[in-house]
Amino acid sequence: MEGDVVSVQPAGVAKVVARLTQSSLGLKALVAVTGLGLVAFAFVHMAGHLQMFALLGGQEGYNQYAHKLQSLGALKWAARAGLLALTLVHVIATLKLIARNRSARPIGYASNHWLTASVASQTMRVTGPILLFFIIYHLLHFTALVVSAQGYEAMEYMLRDGSNLVVGDAYGRMVQAFRDPLLTVVYVLAVGLLGVHLAHGISSLFQTLGLTNSTYRPALATAGPLLAGLLTAGFAVVPLAILTGVIQ
Amino acid sequence: MNLTLKVWRQKNAQAAGAFVDYAMSDVSPDMSFLEMLDGLNETLQAKGQEPVAFDHDCREGICGTCSLVINGIPHGPDRATTTCQLHMRKFKAGDVITIEPWRAAPFAVIRDLVVDRGAFERIQRRGGFVSVGTGHAPDANAMAIPKRQADLAMDAAQCIGCGACVAACKNASAMLFVGAKVSQYAHLPQGQPERFRRVLAMVEQHDAEGFGACTNYQECEAVCPKEISVRVIGEMNRDYLRAVLVGVE
Repeated sequence: MEGDVVSVQPAGVAKVVARLTQSSLGLKALVAVTGLGLVAFAFVHMAGHLQMFALLGGQEGYNQYAHKLQSLGALKWAARAGLLALTLVHVIATLKLIARNRSARPIGYASNHWLTASVASQTMRVTGPILLFFIIYHLLHFTALVVSAQGYEAMEYMLRDGSNLVVGDAYGRMVQAFRDPLLTVVYVLAVGLLGVHLAHGISSLFQTLGLTNSTYRPALATAGPLLAGLLTAGFAVVPLAILTGVIQ
Repeated sequence: MNLTLKVWRQKNAQAAGAFVDYAMSDVSPDMSFLEMLDGLNETLQAKGQEPVAFDHDCREGICGTCSLVINGIPHGPDRATTTCQLHMRKFKAGDVITIEPWRAAPFAVIRDLVVDRGAFERIQRRGGFVSVGTGHAPDANAMAIPKRQADLAMDAAQCIGCGACVAACKNASAMLFVGAKVSQYAHLPQGQPERFRRVLAMVEQHDAEGFGACTNYQECEAVCPKEISVRVIGEMNRDYLRAVLVGVE
């Protein structure tokens, strides 16, 4: 432990890393930065799925897009490793913070009150783990094709872009999946929870990173829930369109 | 009016505490909350019982000594009000009022409702000051400070260090307190030379004391008797990350 403000010395790299990975503010910043990265991915992911609509791509366009992503080779694996790293840091830093917070109040109050905190902020610790389990399920479902994926392997599609390549029919698999009302409900609920998680997360991460001021603070309070709602709507519209027969 | 008080009684830091019920009769709505407790203590002493220990000093809302979590809310149901400035007219006849001490690991209960807030003092000692030779008082306005900056500094400097922010925070974090102490200097020219060292030292002490981390619930802002804005937390976060990543020379 150093003395007072006068004796704080320039830090070595090890100290910088320690401050980021051990201090309460450093850990929070890690959660915020990784959260921002995951939100950015979620928006790209959502926009990609909108190509399921005939107007934006349909079976041909969506399968071409899926094939393009699958043929990125090393880049694909780099992206996957990056997403895995973002998720791991997000979760581990959060767990460390939760442990710190728990030990900061060993004895609770007899009467417990919430005054201003939003429902989204109060339920981060519930929505977070559920989303983690959902993401694992989602990967096993559409990426690994091992859960709720009967017949997916056999579904193939010949690209009409001149290459005549036969690729996995990502479009067909999704259509088959969401003709099942149960799967649709699971996915729509999950992206709904994602919206709740991010309604707090997006606004909160800017405050955590200190990227606010008198102008942005009120705007961010609105922008968080708004962007989160947009993301949920963008994700949910595809399975709902399939279930209702708009996408066939 | 008649009330029932459920008061946390605890002999010392080591002893286990428990709630004890006290029936109060003829409480005047014009009494302050602490006067009501004074009344309880007079009754207890008359019966030869141990009075309830609680912190208080100026009783005019400026010293930050009084504490008390009243019905789950630090400083009670009134906004921007310390416990000493809370009046019994905010309660109804027949109410059951639960009175607890600040709950946080760094704020150990000394006795009943009195907690040790020395942790705040130790955080202050790490950087809650500017280390300049003071000499004689400078002439007024010798150092020009824009009104807006002076206002921002003054808003942060309103903090009386009572600890309600910690008591209200679900994580028992002291970030509003530390943020206020960091922000009050960050807006003034006198605070600039030590600006980034200050935030590193004070946050380090905050963590070492065992306070939790901020989750941006903003419950602290809602209970702060001086209405310190969570703006100061954002400013502290920015200065801290800048200090860590850019470094102090």
